[in-house]
Amino acid sequence: MDFSFTKKEEKFRSVLREWLEQNLPEGWLEGKTALPEDNREYSQFLRNWQKKLYEGGWAAIAWPKQYGGRDATLMEEIIYQQEMVRVKAPPLINYVGIHMVGPTLIQIGTEEQKHKYIEKMLTGEEVWCQGYSEPNAGSDLTAIKTTAVKDGERWIINGQKVWTSFGHLADKCFLLARTSNHEKRQKGITVFLVDMHQPGVETRPIIQMDGEHDFNEVYFNDAVAYDADIVGEIDEGWKVMITLLMHERTGIGAQLFTLEQQFGDFVELAKELQENGSPLIKDPLVRQKMVDLYTRNRGAQLNYYRNLTTTLKRGYPGAEGSMDKLLVSELTKEMFSYALTLHGHQGVLWKEDAIMDSSWQKNYLYSFGMTIGGGTSEIQRNTIAERILGLPKDMGR
Amino acid sequence: MDFSLSQEQEMFRSSVRKFLDGNGSTQIARDFIRGDGSSLEKALAGLAGLGCTAITIPEKYEGAELGSLDLVPVLEELGRAHLPGIYLETLAFSVPLIEKYGTEQQRQKYLPQIATGSRTVTLAWLEPKGGYHPNEVQTSASIEGTSLVINGTKSSVPEGETADTYLLLVRTSDGTDGEGLSLVLVDRDEIKVKTRKQKSFDETRMLAEVTFEKVIVSTDCVLGEINQGWSILQEGLLHINAALCSLMIGGMDRLVEMTAEYAKIRVQFGQPIGRFQAIKHRIADMKTDLETARSLSYYATWALETNAADREAAIFSARAFTTEAYIRIASHSIQIHGGIGFTEELDCQLYLKRARYYENYLGSIQHYREKAAVALNW
Ligand SMILES: Cc1cc2nc3c(=O)[nH]c(=O)nc-3n(C[C@H](O)[C@H](O)[C@H](O)COP(=O)(O)OP(=O)(O)OC[C@H]3O[C@@H](n4cnc5c(N)ncnc54)[C@H](O)[C@@H]3O)c2cc1C
Ligand SMILES: Cc1cc2nc3c(=O)[nH]c(=O)nc-3n(C[C@H](O)[C@H](O)[C@H](O)COP(=O)(O)OP(=O)(O)OC[C@H]3O[C@@H](n4cnc5c(N)ncnc54)[C@H](O)[C@@H]3O)c2cc1C
Repeated sequence: MDFSFTKKEEKFRSVLREWLEQNLPEGWLEGKTALPEDNREYSQFLRNWQKKLYEGGWAAIAWPKQYGGRDATLMEEIIYQQEMVRVKAPPLINYVGIHMVGPTLIQIGTEEQKHKYIEKMLTGEEVWCQGYSEPNAGSDLTAIKTTAVKDGERWIINGQKVWTSFGHLADKCFLLARTSNHEKRQKGITVFLVDMHQPGVETRPIIQMDGEHDFNEVYFNDAVAYDADIVGEIDEGWKVMITLLMHERTGIGAQLFTLEQQFGDFVELAKELQENGSPLIKDPLVRQKMVDLYTRNRGAQLNYYRNLTTTLKRGYPGAEGSMDKLLVSELTKEMFSYALTLHGHQGVLWKEDAIMDSSWQKNYLYSFGMTIGGGTSEIQRNTIAERILGLPKDMGR
Repeated sequence: MDFSLSQEQEMFRSSVRKFLDGNGSTQIARDFIRGDGSSLEKALAGLAGLGCTAITIPEKYEGAELGSLDLVPVLEELGRAHLPGIYLETLAFSVPLIEKYGTEQQRQKYLPQIATGSRTVTLAWLEPKGGYHPNEVQTSASIEGTSLVINGTKSSVPEGETADTYLLLVRTSDGTDGEGLSLVLVDRDEIKVKTRKQKSFDETRMLAEVTFEKVIVSTDCVLGEINQGWSILQEGLLHINAALCSLMIGGMDRLVEMTAEYAKIRVQFGQPIGRFQAIKHRIADMKTDLETARSLSYYATWALETNAADREAAIFSARAFTTEAYIRIASHSIQIHGGIGFTEELDCQLYLKRARYYENYLGSIQHYREKAAVALNW
């Protein structure tokens, strides 16, 4: 058992730290971390940030060197996430491109696809979104109805996607469409790389319960793609999705590190909030609850490191990731929920009237999306029970 | 970064498991409950033969001179097999304290015998009316020349009638909040005490009330400095609580395993009950609790072994979480087994009773959460 980092890893950390100090947007480290409200400005700001990351060689560290990455080890990726969380770096606008689509294309894409997309993905010139969910297909993606039909040279795409994060900012979509029907419903799904800036694609905003607009509905009306835009084999998109999932290996880590940081803020909150002149953190009942949250948060962090060790030894991630996802999302929700409880009746005051920082209310509302997006908590429990413990699958699967 | 037990540690685990399975596993505890201690005796001797009792003892005293982490897989296996005995008190409380605070004479006397499995040491702390608070310790030891004269009654002493040695918490002078308390090593065969067996809810746990009436021992039996017993005890609590987590995790691991297996084979409504999500999701939560407890416990023991700055918070919080999770997992496992879960025949009830015993052993869950809060400077 050894929790230390190697010299090489520590060196990696200090090089990145130094780079961040010099290159984060002006005033960022001093707390000027508000992002522009306007969609266009927001997009430009984040694209500029990604360009800067790219120029420094920090946009896609896990990618092979020949594609502009650093061939980073898994541990270096972890350190990267830790450091980004530590400085509360601006979000990566092309998260989908860098962490999912890019590595998948590098692994199984055609030379033409690599040539066409990889570099622009890296620079932030082309932002990607993921078109999986539909009104009638969420947890069960085999139920998708969006179709792609061959018409001469072209594939004609019709259907509707929903909850598409980054859809309004994206230039390209990694789209699941049905190309044929089979008894085994995983079969007959094909992955297309689709241009969002074409007449047949329309994006409409969806406003979330936290008042933000991160996801969208995307309508495809005779949108067009070509053979060259197919990833993997026709009808074998399911395999492509699994390949893609294998690459998404540090996203949960980033969420866990964020939670750890937020827990620190939460402790400070409990020290600042008072009842009858005494900080809430001195209240015995509050202390009990907070130690419980602290313990489960530590447990989730430590589980992650233990699973990481398994991944490092085995060479690929396993179903244990479902436990990490379940814990980090549920705990985040519970912690922010309790943070609002601690606010007392003033917890309902928000935005400019918030008694502390309005981010407590905001993050609380946002946290509800975490136990749904990326696979709901119920689906994670199914995975834990079925894939780790070998319990029988649900009916219908 | 390597957050796992080493290959050697896992190999040692396998050999302990093989041995205990070969000796009937929980059947040993069942024989013991029926009043037949022979299979337990055999198992304990076998474990000592494997070297389980020598792990953390220095080579100089005939031990293997390994660390607390090396004890983890062994304790997990003992917890899994639900073995009765006071190995926890002996190996994870007395050994580290004797090693750190004992005189050379005490070390030479106790450590080699513990290493070979020929001596057990229990902890005599509670008293009939009291709790774990230091102010409640009334048993006194007055100093007369080079002798200590002990008077008082200890209660709920694990194996109070059979342990070879009592590590006894006594009042050696007046004081509050831990002042004036001392720890004394008292060998049962050298004194006369009155004992009364106390029936325990966990029938694998032999408890007794032990009464000391003008019992005279030498002042050489004091462990560490006189009147410093309370702070020495705190050090012991770090060790025993970290180890207790491992012991509980062994039981939890077995419960999750047997419950998942049962859910795969028990068919109702034409399908394995493990397909119903009321069952499936509960088992997923049990597994998640188990792995969280395991991570916390490994880290706690690592922090203990390496003297990490956060060792107190790590150990106390792990202890609180694991105790609660153990009760939760044992209760769920009974429910998921249905009617058979409610029977004596199934092992679930054994683990549940043990979990309830540990819930308040050496302090409550609330108590340990509060201790963690203090350790975190809250
Ligand atoms: C913040 C956020 C961002 C998102 N971003 C994207 C994106 O970029 N691209 C994209 O394609 N999608 C995205 N999604 C969609 C997300 O993947 C789906 O919401 C999610 O998979 C659940 O699908 P659903 O909403 O259709 O709910 P449903 O699948 O209809 O589920 C409804 C309820 O039923 C439960 N349920 C469903 N199946 C089972 C089962 N077998 N057993 C037990 N319970 C079950 C669910 O857990 C849930 O509680 C995003 C969602 C959120 C919240
Ligand atoms: C104290 C006691 C007294 C009893 N007395 C009598 C008596 O006098 N006469 C008599 O005939 N019987 C009696 N029983 C039996 C009792 O009715 C059954 O134990 C009970 O119906 C459960 O059946 P089972 O034990 O076979 O468990 P199972 O049906 O095998 O259930 C095992 C687990 O699976 C769950 N499960 C089963 N089906 C589903 C489902 N569809 N969805 C979700 N979860 C499911 C159960 O809730 C349980 O947790 C008694 C039981 C007890 C404990």
